[in-house]
Amino acid sequence: MAISRRRAAEEEGEISLTPMLDVVFILLIFFIVSTSFVKEPGIDPQRPVAATAAAKVRGNILIGVTEADAVWMQKRRIGIDEVRRLVEAAVAENPESSVVVVADRRASTGMVIDVMDRARAAGVANIAVSAEQEV
Amino acid sequence: MNARRRRRRNAGDAEISITPMLDIVFILLIFFIVTTSFAKEFAVDMSRPSNAPVKEQKRTELIAVRIEADGRVFVEERAIDIGAVRANIESGLARKPSAGVVVVANRAADAGLMVRVVDQARLAGAGNVSLAAPAG
Repeated sequence: MAISRRRAAEEEGEISLTPMLDVVFILLIFFIVSTSFVKEPGIDPQRPVAATAAAKVRGNILIGVTEADAVWMQKRRIGIDEVRRLVEAAVAENPESSVVVVADRRASTGMVIDVMDRARAAGVANIAVSAEQEV
Repeated sequence: MNARRRRRRNAGDAEISITPMLDIVFILLIFFIVTTSFAKEFAVDMSRPSNAPVKEQKRTELIAVRIEADGRVFVEERAIDIGAVRANIESGLARKPSAGVVVVANRAADAGLMVRVVDQARLAGAGNVSLAAPAG
């Protein structure tokens, strides 16, 4: 009986998939947890340099301000008055999100402050300005 | 004969085929690998006083840093170089250790300069750096 079962296993040549499934599930859970669905602003401005810049793990609402004071969000150019509505919608999706203003170093301070004020009016308390880390 | 023996063996083991589940799990895994972006944004926290009228702080508890549109920086109404901001704020904090730093930036000043001033104030050890803009 034992001999016949061993011969059957040899004939079918099956590999146990269970350990691979375990590994794949662990990878899947890791990627699900670490995915944060950052909303890219659609521009890559020249950021200011700062020594106290710290990595923002939860900064997932990015608002870009170009050199010419144009505001970008979710890969399209928007007017300053749309910032509040879009940030409110993003906060409704994920209440723990925070805002990072990605401003060009030559953008005007007034525009950056206007964007920050509108983000605050939309109910986000945690606002930061993106910077390159000084080495 | 061979087929009958196999059927009986299967009924005894009662195995569920996990291959379709594995397919779905792999597709999910590939989706999450592709959509994950590990791009971390480095940023400086900015606290901004709200527009609502707040109680005024006493001047003695503040170190005012003013940025003009042309890029000149004033600490306590003295024009100084950007490189000296940190040292000036440090000496100001030595005189009034509980003071907060308020950066008053002209609306036309460069955002990069404003970030640098806030950064320098943080490096000088000011716990409370806030940003204000004159109206207009």
